[in-house]
Amino acid sequence: MSINSEAAKNDRLKTIALASVVLVGIASAALLVRWADALRPPPDPNAIDENLYVNGKTARRVSLGFNGLVADWYWMRSLQYVGRKIMNHPDDVPLDNLGQLNMKLLAPLLDTATTLDPNFLDPYEYAAIVLPSVDVQEGIRITKKGIEANPNAWRLYQHLGYIYWQQHDYQAASETYGRGAQIPGVPAWMEAMKAKMAADGGSRSTAREIYTRMFEQSSDEQVKEMARRRLLQLDSFDQRDGLRRILTAYQGRTGKCPNSWHDLGLSSAPLDPTGVPYVLRAGTCEVELNPKSEIPAK
Amino acid sequence: MAETALDFQEAIQIKNGSFWRISAIARNAFREAVRDRVLYNLVLFVLLLTGASIFIGELSGGQERKVIVDLGLSAMLLFGVFIAIFVGVGLVYKEIERRTIYAVFSKPVGRGEFLIGKYLGLCLTLLVNVLVMAVGVSLALMYVSHGWDPLILMVWPAVLLIYLELMLLTAVALLFSSFSSPALSALLTFMVFIIGHFSADLKSLAVSLGSTSARWFFTALYYLLPNLANYSFITPAAHGRAPAPGFVFATALYALVYIAVILAGATLVFSRRNFK
Repeated sequence: MSINSEAAKNDRLKTIALASVVLVGIASAALLVRWADALRPPPDPNAIDENLYVNGKTARRVSLGFNGLVADWYWMRSLQYVGRKIMNHPDDVPLDNLGQLNMKLLAPLLDTATTLDPNFLDPYEYAAIVLPSVDVQEGIRITKKGIEANPNAWRLYQHLGYIYWQQHDYQAASETYGRGAQIPGVPAWMEAMKAKMAADGGSRSTAREIYTRMFEQSSDEQVKEMARRRLLQLDSFDQRDGLRRILTAYQGRTGKCPNSWHDLGLSSAPLDPTGVPYVLRAGTCEVELNPKSEIPAK
Repeated sequence: MAETALDFQEAIQIKNGSFWRISAIARNAFREAVRDRVLYNLVLFVLLLTGASIFIGELSGGQERKVIVDLGLSAMLLFGVFIAIFVGVGLVYKEIERRTIYAVFSKPVGRGEFLIGKYLGLCLTLLVNVLVMAVGVSLALMYVSHGWDPLILMVWPAVLLIYLELMLLTAVALLFSSFSSPALSALLTFMVFIIGHFSADLKSLAVSLGSTSARWFFTALYYLLPNLANYSFITPAAHGRAPAPGFVFATALYALVYIAVILAGATLVFSRRNFK
């Protein structure tokens, strides 16, 4: 009996010892990996990205019927690639002005995602919004590829028209909106955009129309956010034009520009559409956005 | 195993006739798969889908429904392929290795009946697996959509096509295992799975080649090997598109004909095999 109880005690001790080794081992491994992470040099933001090893056609061929899932993976990789670049950049950069971030891999990633799954519309939208500031020809090519694969997806015409509009090619933008407007079931504003582009492509009201439609139609939160900020920027342009008129009138009356908002009889600085005070450059009759404002400067 | 043999012997004694014998072997093969914990892969699948449902929204830029369907159906196909290959190649081999095949053939059971029964047993295992996974994908979709999602209805035809593909692959695994070792059978079956998805390339290769003999060779290969690319309907399903009923009927008929051919070939080989 005592031998049995001794054996049972030994077994218990052995179990406790082994369980302790497992727990302590896991905890130590976690601590060691943290230590190693801390010692690893940070990634060089100026490092040149390595090219993708596999192009879209090859990836599609070797995906063995899992092409949809592989396309999702490339899509998520694109989002994380852009997100990482934005996070590593010290300043706030709007989604449609990422040219400064050296995003060499974005076009191949989106191209591969859309070759793997040609009916996946979100990467085309992303290409149309983000790529023009990085590589406009690639943006146009990928969006046209989307139209070829999805001729009834009117939103792709909207995106392609947007790229042409950004390039100030209002004729091409008008034609693209016109082609999209011929698709059955398309919203009536596509036809209106065709006329607006042809007649008044460079105006602020056209820009407002474009970003309003983009905000309404997009399912991508990042694109929605970009459109929202562009709309706020347009409101701010209108407000700053109004303020400049007041400043010019003041200069006309007094022969000099005001040094502060108090000179204009205002108790505090006027606020931009996000609620942040505008900055008056003393003695220049120039009003600017506060650096704290979320409205893009460009 | 003793219990399995007993179940089997009872079933054989109770019922006579080919249908009952095949059905007894199939039930037995299903029970064996369950006892071998083949269905434990469902736990991994559930964990995968649960994790995806919770976290994928953060990563996919609002495309969680598409990703859930792609991920769920791809995992269903991948897990199914592994079960079809690794369980399929062992169906006959294990009986020979354990020498239980002598007990089976001492009863009035034909070799063809034995093979078909084993095949149907694994198909039943795969059916349970696929059905549970399809319900899992539907529930995950309902979770991310906060209620009923019309995409659920588009998932089920794709599930049917996946199941047909798995049935075909199980037959291929059984054919190879009727004359070869498990490792070689698994390798050959996996190669058939890969080539089956390259069938469109085989056809275009045959068209593009200059040499007549090479053209004939690749055309013959295209028609000889199972065309598994037709069963890939995961990506369209994720976009809310269902296959046309005529297409499903044609591919189902193709699968049945191909399976009949493979099982007939496997029976031919197996009938001539000497177990001494």
